[in-house]
Amino acid sequence: MEDYAEELRTPPVSLVSLVGCPELHATISSYLHSEQPPINTLALPDFSKISVMARTQKETLDSGHPGGILKRDWILKHRTRVPAVVAALFTSDHVSGDPAQWLQVCTDLENLKAVVRGRNIKLVVVVVHSTVKEHSCDAPASRKEVSLDTIEEKLVFNADEVSEDRMIALRKRAEVDSKYLVIFVQNDSSELKQSLNRQAIFFKLGSIFAELSNTYYRDEGRRIKTRIERKSFKSIELNIRYCFKARASTLFFSIKKCLIGCIMPSKLQTIVSFTDWKRNAEEISRVAVYAEFHRDWVEALRFYEDAYHVLREMIGTSTRLPAIQRLVEIKTVAEQLHFKVSTLLLHGGKVIEAITWFRQHNASYRKLMGAPEVVFLHWEWMSRQFLVFAELLDTSSTTILNTSTLILGTPERPLTEWELHSAYYYHLAAHYLREKRSCLELALSASETANEIDSNSESVIPSIYVGQSTRLLQQGDAFAMQHLTDAEYILFALAEGKRFQDSFEIIALFKKSFESYSDIKAQRMASYCGYRLAREYFSISDFRKAKQHFDGVASLYRHEGWVTLLWEVLGYLRECSRRIGSVKDFIEYSLEMAALPISSSAGVQSPNHKGEYGPAGPASLPQREIIHKEVFELIKGESVSASNEGASNLDITGDQPLHLEIDLVSPLRVVLLASVAFHDQVVKPGVPTLLTLSLLSQLPLPVEIDLLEIQFNQPECNFTITNAQKPPLVASSNGEEGLRVENAPVLALHMDKWLRLTYDVKSEQSGKLECISVIARMGSRFAICCRAESPASMDDLRLWKFEDRVETFPTKDPSLAFSGQKAIQVEDPDPQVDLILGATGPALVGESFLVPVRVVSKGHTIHSGELKINIVDAKGGGLVSPREIEPFSIDSHHVELLGILGPDGEDESQTGPENIRKIQQSFGLLSVPFVNIGESWSCKLEFKWHRPKPVMLYVSLGYSPHSNEATAQKAHVHKSLQIKGKTAVVIGHRFMLPFRRDPLLLSKIKPAPDSDQVASLALKETSILIISAKNCSEVPLQLLSMSIEVDEDENRRSCTVQHGGENPIDPALLVPGEEFKRVFSIIPEVNTPKLGVGTVCLRWRRNPGFEEKSCSGTIAAEVVTSHKLPDINVEMAPLIVSLKCLPHAILGVPFTCYIRIENQTQLLQEVKYSLADSQSFVLSGFHNDTIFVLPKSEHILGYKLVPLASGSQQLPRFTLTSVRYSAELQPALAAYTVFVFPSKPHFTVEDVGEKKTEPSATE
Amino acid sequence: MIVCVAVVGHQNNPLYLQSFTEADDELKLHHIVQCSLDVIDERVNNPKKTGPTLNETFLGLLYPTENYKVYGYLTNTKVKFIFVTTDLDVRDADVRNFFRRFHSAYVDAVSNPFHVPGKKITSRTFAERVSTIVKSFGMSAAA
Repeated sequence: MEDYAEELRTPPVSLVSLVGCPELHATISSYLHSEQPPINTLALPDFSKISVMARTQKETLDSGHPGGILKRDWILKHRTRVPAVVAALFTSDHVSGDPAQWLQVCTDLENLKAVVRGRNIKLVVVVVHSTVKEHSCDAPASRKEVSLDTIEEKLVFNADEVSEDRMIALRKRAEVDSKYLVIFVQNDSSELKQSLNRQAIFFKLGSIFAELSNTYYRDEGRRIKTRIERKSFKSIELNIRYCFKARASTLFFSIKKCLIGCIMPSKLQTIVSFTDWKRNAEEISRVAVYAEFHRDWVEALRFYEDAYHVLREMIGTSTRLPAIQRLVEIKTVAEQLHFKVSTLLLHGGKVIEAITWFRQHNASYRKLMGAPEVVFLHWEWMSRQFLVFAELLDTSSTTILNTSTLILGTPERPLTEWELHSAYYYHLAAHYLREKRSCLELALSASETANEIDSNSESVIPSIYVGQSTRLLQQGDAFAMQHLTDAEYILFALAEGKRFQDSFEIIALFKKSFESYSDIKAQRMASYCGYRLAREYFSISDFRKAKQHFDGVASLYRHEGWVTLLWEVLGYLRECSRRIGSVKDFIEYSLEMAALPISSSAGVQSPNHKGEYGPAGPASLPQREIIHKEVFELIKGESVSASNEGASNLDITGDQPLHLEIDLVSPLRVVLLASVAFHDQVVKPGVPTLLTLSLLSQLPLPVEIDLLEIQFNQPECNFTITNAQKPPLVASSNGEEGLRVENAPVLALHMDKWLRLTYDVKSEQSGKLECISVIARMGSRFAICCRAESPASMDDLRLWKFEDRVETFPTKDPSLAFSGQKAIQVEDPDPQVDLILGATGPALVGESFLVPVRVVSKGHTIHSGELKINIVDAKGGGLVSPREIEPFSIDSHHVELLGILGPDGEDESQTGPENIRKIQQSFGLLSVPFVNIGESWSCKLEFKWHRPKPVMLYVSLGYSPHSNEATAQKAHVHKSLQIKGKTAVVIGHRFMLPFRRDPLLLSKIKPAPDSDQVASLALKETSILIISAKNCSEVPLQLLSMSIEVDEDENRRSCTVQHGGENPIDPALLVPGEEFKRVFSIIPEVNTPKLGVGTVCLRWRRNPGFEEKSCSGTIAAEVVTSHKLPDINVEMAPLIVSLKCLPHAILGVPFTCYIRIENQTQLLQEVKYSLADSQSFVLSGFHNDTIFVLPKSEHILGYKLVPLASGSQQLPRFTLTSVRYSAELQPALAAYTVFVFPSKPHFTVEDVGEKKTEPSATE
Repeated sequence: MIVCVAVVGHQNNPLYLQSFTEADDELKLHHIVQCSLDVIDERVNNPKKTGPTLNETFLGLLYPTENYKVYGYLTNTKVKFIFVTTDLDVRDADVRNFFRRFHSAYVDAVSNPFHVPGKKITSRTFAERVSTIVKSFGMSAAA
């Protein structure tokens, strides 16, 4: 794009000429230039210079007989030489001076008019006042210049300097409208006023110029349009020129007013729409201008397109110039027109239209190659089209950000994605430039007259017409132009072509395209450009850069498996390495090429397409074999000569042995793939295990390996395999002593066939044994180090996996191929020590439970032994349950390791500090002393269960069987044992009322909401408490004592607890499931709703069985289980009902029973009672009555009853209702049961009665 | 005239590539086919919002290059069919028809029990069918 002249690239700027008064020119010019849009000035110091504007002789001639289509400098002329407006500046002195001066003014004006009229240039006359007198002038008088609005006023004010007559005369002479006669006051005494008014006045002067130049350009445009419409032009050339001119004029006209608006109409629209244009007059004018411009702009575009189409039609018809030059001219003009159209379209934001336009442009000219001698000119032209369009797209890229939302193209001719990106055009520009270069080279080589070319082109210069060249002939002092013949032109073009180094430009274009494609993440397009870029570097022998780019490209092709393309790139890379002299790279690329999956045998390169393929030739199997042979000759020590061009010979020298590394991602995996599989997953130390080593190569010819080295992470397992058919290498003999050497009968790799070798491996060291790498040595100076891979996790060969070939397994055993690993676990040595945990039965909560541990050595001595103890909740989880927050347990562990007792029973903590010893609640660590073979050592672990919980006890012993601690492996013995924790005894309690004595407890009748659980007892009444202890364990227990321990302080007085009977002095044996009960009497002394009764303490111990007693000899320790009794509610009973009756009766024998109602209160109690009938008895007495019981006294009811049925019978139910308390009291059923004998039994009634009633009496 | 047809696997690896030119420009055609994958990626990743193209297998013109035009077709298994033509004016219906026939030939080829999915297509029958389809494409365009 930079090739174009500036006037073509930038929007037109109107030109105004200033003549006379040169001292003012600078001020006015700078102001006009800073206008928006700017106006250029052509400043002529005096009137003698005006001839530059005049129409030249040549122009006059040319206009009739065009020598070409467009004149090269037409726009330039309008921008620099032909103004739209001429401002004639006269000083007021001259105007109002003596007749001679006035005459001079008139003459100048006449001359100017003569020049101006020929071109329809507009005229403005400016009268400059050098000074202003200090008269009573107001603001307008102090202005430096006067605008058209105030011109009348101005004339009056300056009447004292220039007479009105003179002014009118001047205006008439100049033939200008009065508003174009301007007074310019130069020196104003008032600086302040001058600066105040400057802006407004300059604006008005500027607007005069702008208006006039608009008129000028519009008129010019109209004039030419009329000519076009009348078809009054003589030839097509003129038509195009007029179209061009008309367009240009239109554009001048429009741009004049609003440059910004012209260039970025869409932007302006945005601005305006966001501006409060009602308040901003300037913006309103811009909107207007925009609307106006829009019309003109469309017209400009239309004219350009017309010109372009007419030009296209000319191709077949015009015969004016010799054929070659004619086409060149047409193309050049088309290029300019196209450029203008594209620029307008793109700047207007019509990207799609621009691209479609470009496509049409490309389509219509692509085939117009012209004469075969200068076909390179066509390609150069094509390349330029693409380049310029790419640059245009780049510059207007801001407007095409969201291309995805555009509807691409027309339905019939859709636009594709890349056509919106400059990268596409750069790429094709580079492509055509390459085409140009090759055609030029062809043309140059065809023309034998090289010298002639140079001499011929010397005097050829560009013609005044666009796209033409002429010869400049010097005839004496004069110069003359001469048209060239086509033959001359060809020579000239060749000479021109020779002058340029296209390669660098091609590289630059490809690079640009490469970068652009990379930016838009089109990696394959970028790669293709990178490939072509690298080829250019290659062709100019910049091998390092070429290699760098080829490398990038190759990785993509490798990744996607484009073998043919990869072959090509690798061929270049190989050649680059050869030229650079990099042996390693050369061998790597050669090996990779040789191992590519190419099987076509058609390797014959057709001679007429030699340029098509890279240095490697077409991809084929024979070619692979050639490369294979070549590289292996190099490996064997024969140097490879650089093929034809004199690059350095490649050689592997003895002091620089070559070592290739092949890892899991290396492209060279196809060359050598090493799969290593152990046949087992675990092995004991010192036991040999089988290992299969499988090697695969895709090289086309068999490869002989001299030596294989297999390396493990345990270096002592390393071994080498030598080839029996080859003499042992010198290098291998000087290896480490004692290294294992195996001999294989054959070490040859055939294409796509696994070479499988199986050997024993023995490791003495426990842990992981892993095969790291396999090194294949070929010749004395070449080795390939191949990372070992497990068959189970081996990736496919990336390029070969797409080939239609039979998959083979690295091992013969298919299961090993799927699961085989290159690593094996070597186990720890077997422990020869027994660890015995002897626990008997479940543990009981509360006791300290002993677990004896015994370490017995059978085959190993125990050095630095260490015993680890761990207890874990058998149900999983910790030993703490977060839900049960125990108020009593300080340590939250339910099971606790209390300590470790030594073998003799003494606490181990007293032993020496050298014993590692650490005991936590669930973890213990202690050291085991030296134990010789056959000896044993034991200790006891002491646990305590706080809760019934099963736990797992893990005990592990780690020791080293040898005294040398540093090297020895530790052996480990693990044992575990589940121990259940059981509650030994469950203690229950029960409160009972005395027999047949029922206090009226008001709280029972109307219970408080929270008092459900609390037992209520009557104050100062004896109640009975029964404590039971049940053996829940599976072992018999010995109960030693049971007592209620009352809290010391106040409870002693508040309640009396008495044991019902004598202490069980004789330890009671409680077998599993049996319950022991004890009766206490309790008399509350204090009336309190919450009375603590005390804690039941039960002392017990395991009852050792007969056998255990005899063997352990020790008696189990006493355990105290305590059970806190709940608080009781004590209240005074106002009424107590007691029944006095015989415990038994005899059928038919009447007996008496009494019901005694005691009033404990100080109040008179009204009591209602009722007695329900019972079918078993006949009774006499009141059924219902209301009685009054006096305070602190009692009332006794007596009944006579005759039993009618024998057996256990219910006495008639007695119900008492206290009126005062509205409370009903019904004694318990049990209390009203008597046994009726059918006849008098054989014992005395008194005796039985006494015995039966005794307990109740005593309690 | 169709100068090249290609089947490209879902990992963008070539499965079948056949050129039909006398000239030795196979390499260039490889490049063209490979570059067209970028366009396919672009179309698949940024589908146009218009409705009918949503489930369209036919991708249309991928890109024009120097003297060629590249058309694409994407099967449901993400296998791409690409052909390169030198014709300037290609009717959309012809291209669709071509791809439809090509697709059925491809389906037949990969239905062969001896064919391993994802591997290159080496069937000779397929090659013959493809060349028939390619030839008939030229015929119908001429007609």
